[in-house]
Amino acid sequence: MASDTPWPLPLDAPAADDLSRCVHCGLCLNSCPTFSVTGLEAESPRGRIYLARAVDEGRLEMTPAVQAHWDLCLQCRACEAVCPSGVAYGRIMEHVRAQVAAAPKKDRLQRRLRSFALRNVVARPRVLAAMVAPARWYAGSPLRGLVRRTRLLRSFGRLAVMEAQLPRRPGKPVRPGDTLAAPLGAAARVTLFTGCVMSELFGGVHRATARVLARSHVAAVATPGQVCCGALHAHDGDLAFARDLARKNIDALEGGDIIVVNSAGCGAAMKEYGQLLAHDPDYAARAAAFAARVRDFSEYVVTLPGRPAGQLDARVAYQDACHLAHAQRIREQPRALLREVQGCTPVATAGADMCCGAAGIYSLVEPGMSAELRARKAAQFREHAPDVVVTANPGCQMQYEAAVREAGLDARVMHLAELLDEAQRNARRR
Amino acid sequence: MTTRRELLARLRAAVGDRNVAWRPEDLLLYEYDGTIEKKLPYAVAFPDGADETAAVVRACNELGVPVTPRGAGTGLSGGAVPARRGVVIATTRMRRILEIDPVNRLAVVEPGLPNIQLSEAAAVHGLFYAPDPSSQKACTIGGNVAENAGGPHCLSLGVTTNHVLGIEVVTAAGEITWLGGRVPDAHGYDLRGAFIGSEGTLGIVTKVVVRLVPVPASVVTLLAVFDTVEQASETVSAIISAGLIPAAMEMMDRTTLQAAEAGLQCGYPPDAGAVLLVELDGLAEMVDSQAASVRGECLERGATDVRTARDAAERELLWKGRKGAIGSLGRIAPNYYILDGVVPRSRLVDVMATVADVSARYDLPIANVFHAGDGNLHPCVMFDEREPGATERVLSAGAEIMRACVEAGGSLSGEHGIGFEKQKFMPWLYNEADLENMARLRPVFGNEGAFNPCKLLPGGTGCGEMAHQEAALRAAGPDAYV
Ligand SMILES: Cc1cc2nc3c(=O)[nH]c(=O)nc-3n(C[C@H](O)[C@H](O)[C@H](O)COP(=O)(O)OP(=O)(O)OC[C@H]3O[C@@H](n4cnc5c(N)ncnc54)[C@H](O)[C@@H]3O)c2cc1C
Ligand code: SF4
Ligand code: SF4
Repeated sequence: MASDTPWPLPLDAPAADDLSRCVHCGLCLNSCPTFSVTGLEAESPRGRIYLARAVDEGRLEMTPAVQAHWDLCLQCRACEAVCPSGVAYGRIMEHVRAQVAAAPKKDRLQRRLRSFALRNVVARPRVLAAMVAPARWYAGSPLRGLVRRTRLLRSFGRLAVMEAQLPRRPGKPVRPGDTLAAPLGAAARVTLFTGCVMSELFGGVHRATARVLARSHVAAVATPGQVCCGALHAHDGDLAFARDLARKNIDALEGGDIIVVNSAGCGAAMKEYGQLLAHDPDYAARAAAFAARVRDFSEYVVTLPGRPAGQLDARVAYQDACHLAHAQRIREQPRALLREVQGCTPVATAGADMCCGAAGIYSLVEPGMSAELRARKAAQFREHAPDVVVTANPGCQMQYEAAVREAGLDARVMHLAELLDEAQRNARRR
Repeated sequence: MTTRRELLARLRAAVGDRNVAWRPEDLLLYEYDGTIEKKLPYAVAFPDGADETAAVVRACNELGVPVTPRGAGTGLSGGAVPARRGVVIATTRMRRILEIDPVNRLAVVEPGLPNIQLSEAAAVHGLFYAPDPSSQKACTIGGNVAENAGGPHCLSLGVTTNHVLGIEVVTAAGEITWLGGRVPDAHGYDLRGAFIGSEGTLGIVTKVVVRLVPVPASVVTLLAVFDTVEQASETVSAIISAGLIPAAMEMMDRTTLQAAEAGLQCGYPPDAGAVLLVELDGLAEMVDSQAASVRGECLERGATDVRTARDAAERELLWKGRKGAIGSLGRIAPNYYILDGVVPRSRLVDVMATVADVSARYDLPIANVFHAGDGNLHPCVMFDEREPGATERVLSAGAEIMRACVEAGGSLSGEHGIGFEKQKFMPWLYNEADLENMARLRPVFGNEGAFNPCKLLPGGTGCGEMAHQEAALRAAGPDAYV
């Protein structure tokens, strides 16, 4: 898939006005995972913005060392959520990465490979399906137990990380055009956004989402023609490609239906399509209208009248997905839904809203920091021993699988939709 | 002459290779704090513990390189900016809570601990650390000690010095010593008291013993809405005269309210002329009757509305706005210059008129946030440093306001410290003999001029380079001290 727009565009450099908005007050420092691990200004939001500004003003070259500080950023946007000055950190960092991609000095080969993989694997459903198929098979197979018992992968760093992250029961894929559970006499119809990895590895979550919606008389349709949301590409600085994907989704999902998204990263990206395509005369207005129709699963479900009751006896640790809590500012809705479930005891863990280190492809690109953040989660799980860890994003779910194992626990890791689905089913059986 | 290589080698020997920053892009990030002053250090050292800190200080002394301590860099008077370059010693590797003793209600912490993390950790014992600067999510206990920081809740509970029992310090000479201890009222000279508020000019704090206080049984938070700052100011005086001592009493003007509301959606009325945020705490019956009196005083002096936070979440929201208010000014202009004057409460209204006048004459918007109960004002002058000459204009506007505070019988700083930017105003308050006496304390701790130079007291060699200051003083008029 070739991009039809020149790349990078001048508009893809961070805007001086965005950068100058930071008054270096430092209030964001301790919300930043990488600052709280390192204590270094260079690994803080304030420092990263200052570096971008120094590059912008010509005080500093964009050296590999400078880039390394940006690379270590998780793009979790915790800083943005607490910044009183309203610094658009997410936008700044996407543009910084676009700038880096245009002038690659460090790890040229790795960057190219990454960009190639994001464009040609992640964004191409059939290629992705073929690549993921063995992993899907492996995840549920007896081989996995063997590999784990023999610790076969111990010395294979990244591979071992990926192995640990695989969901336990991936479930059959749900792809655009597939049929989902339908309610009897639907009161409303919504589009279910299927996504890339989500659709291949988390079909179970999609089905659970459709069932929960159906029980509230909403029909979810996996509208055909939709593609990957482009979040991973935008975070990697490939804004041109992200724009292409956005335009495809806008074309495919034209109409008035609400678009329900159960992956926090995709939802955040799609709510920002208006911003992404603001300079595209043909799409700017359509993109803004599209963005206004996007809802996170929890955000949508809390608005549905007559939700059936749920029942699940479990101590549940809800962990905020960064792009839900920080980018979409949705914290209360998932917790409210969990509180409605009878028998469900919320377990508050420290740092529930701090990044788990999954961060898209981050766990593969920066395994050290990712492991440190995962270890912090694991330590909390060990301390509080929840029965279930719940979140709302596929990448986080995978990281929590690994964290729970690291904590030596048997806790289940579930998407909020899966938990609600199971709880509603339990309640009916009673 | 010391070479860079030599300096780095000595620092690495003191703290280990990984704990010295020296690359240009790393140094750039230690040229600033929360103010507009900037100066690049030669190197940054990150010691862990008193021994390593002392080793760094001694190495710098031997090489004749200036030293500047740094906490989180949220300071608002340029205190952590290395005015004469040299080495910045950052405390970020020392951020552990060493002990919480609920029986004796104290804690022992390291200096780099962010203020709020202490209260969070003490909460399980029903205790908290009282001084709560608005920057408490970020600023460090060590930085608080150095600045004798205050906060909204210091109105009834007192500022940092009232809550610090003892400190372990590495003196400017590089010696490790304890000032004060675990029990209050130790005998002998109160060197602990002298050190607190010394703005990192006498040494570096490496451990702090602080007092913890019980979380109040009952809290009521009121938001009173006024049409004008004058009405709100008069109400403040009336509340105090009525013998009420709120836990906190904060004022914000219209510009601030609008920025805070835009940035933080905290439920402030954006078209009010001013609001007072008043908090009362203590036993339930007492708090309720005091709240009723405060409400009465507000309504009597023209409040158009007095709201009460219904629960903890609403209270937190009201405070979130206040605590983020200064930061949210970044929405109005790319830079702000925040002043920190203190005036007798009775003169609040006159000084505010001067502030408004300065704002009009210099054509610079000024937002106002106050710890109103203490007469501590924070006019924030807004500008864009990229405009040629803007910074100089702002500094001279600031100088005029500071002058007005002093002339009204007030002082130069309520809590942000004198630091770099206001040292030259000190002669407005003190005569030469006073200043000399204060300066004599420095050699006692081993500071011969290179330990956090150009801060707190005027003068010193090599401190005149800050062009901003010079320009500001020239513009402030003929009787300004240069
Ligand atoms: C948005 C905002 C709101 C603020 N609100 C308040 C407020 O309500 N009340 C208030 O008092 N202040 C306030 N401040 C100012 C600032 O947060 C305080 O002065 C704070 O105490 C500084 O702490 P820091 O760790 O950031 O220190 P830094 O800025 O790093 O340093 C400040 C000074 O302390 C010295 N220092 C730091 N650590 C040590 C140490 N371990 N030993 C010796 N000296 C040391 C430095 O040399 C410097 O002179 C605010 C700042 C901001 C940005
Ligand atoms: S990003 Fe926001 S919170 Fe962080 S230093 Fe800049 S202005 Fe302050
Ligand atoms: S996005 Fe996350 S990791 Fe990056 S600077 Fe902000 S808080 Fe830190």
